Amino acid sequence: MPGQTTGVRIPWRRWSIVLHRDVGYLAVAMTLAYAISGIAVNHIADWNPNYRISKSFVAVAPITATTTPEMIAAAVERLGLSAAPKGTFRPDPQTLQLFYKERVYHVDLPTGKVMIESTVPRRVLYEMNQLHLNHPKNAWTYIADLYALSLILLAVTGLFVLKGKQGITRRGGWLTAAGTLVPVGYWLLYVQ
Amino acid sequence: MNIIRSSVVALAVAALTASASLAQSTKDYGKPLTLMVKTPISSILKDPKAYEGKRVQVEGTIVEVCEERGCWIRIASDKEFEAIRFKVQDGVITFPMEAKGKVALAEGVVAITNLTREQAVEQAREMAKERGTLGSFDPSKIKGPVTDVQITGEGARVK
Repeated sequence: MPGQTTGVRIPWRRWSIVLHRDVGYLAVAMTLAYAISGIAVNHIADWNPNYRISKSFVAVAPITATTTPEMIAAAVERLGLSAAPKGTFRPDPQTLQLFYKERVYHVDLPTGKVMIESTVPRRVLYEMNQLHLNHPKNAWTYIADLYALSLILLAVTGLFVLKGKQGITRRGGWLTAAGTLVPVGYWLLYVQ
Repeated sequence: MNIIRSSVVALAVAALTASASLAQSTKDYGKPLTLMVKTPISSILKDPKAYEGKRVQVEGTIVEVCEERGCWIRIASDKEFEAIRFKVQDGVITFPMEAKGKVALAEGVVAITNLTREQAVEQAREMAKERGTLGSFDPSKIKGPVTDVQITGEGARVK
């Protein structure tokens, strides 16, 4: 018949809804991890998002040993440490550093004053930051790429989920334009 | 439904494989190590000009890690009271704080920078910020121009 189209009609809106729903479910965990880590690393100038670093002080008897191995043995004994350090260093003649898991002992040999520097990873947040900033590299690079593609898909399909006055041609369109103005406007007003 | 289940399992396995590399005891960072000969850090610090611009491989205990971004480590020399900074490109290599006390085999190019007092103060201030010791930073301790020797890092193995 004149004016009638032939062939299979692709149900775009239905596909958008289905993709938006299922990809959205798949992306929930990654989105939460990336968003929480994003807030954490955004304020890196004000705090350490990966580690809880604290310093405490104790005093032991001055260490008068003359060789480094003797100094290490004396410090380990006086601090009551049960294991040998995984590494040691003398940054200057009067200081001895003992490295343990999550702890460094800075021993001032002549006075016996000891600063204990504790560095403990912030559980969960540390792992999220590692993944967010792609520190594992290797396969994670491609998983993160896949996630980024899924976000693009979510953004695009999200535009076509609703129709009518809440859809992209009316209210949705205005909101999308407003959202676009935020980065574009900021760039033009404050960055350029 | 089976496709969804398979996809979820595949994603989980891939994520676990990627994270497993985090847990290894020996870890490689950046480009693979290529040099066969190690240069003592004491030799570099004794005569930096002789090594300027040269690619070297050094080995030593990691005695400090950049707290803020993990973008540098200090490696102890083979001689007491000496260490050298191994600086990597931000974000390309990130050393974890757990690396402190472990031994690094690291490769890079020796760089010498002559700093005026003002530049030295600014660099020390930045270092103090990265160390988290900005509160106790005292610029008056830095006297005169400073010659800074460091290795511009390309790759490292931490064990």
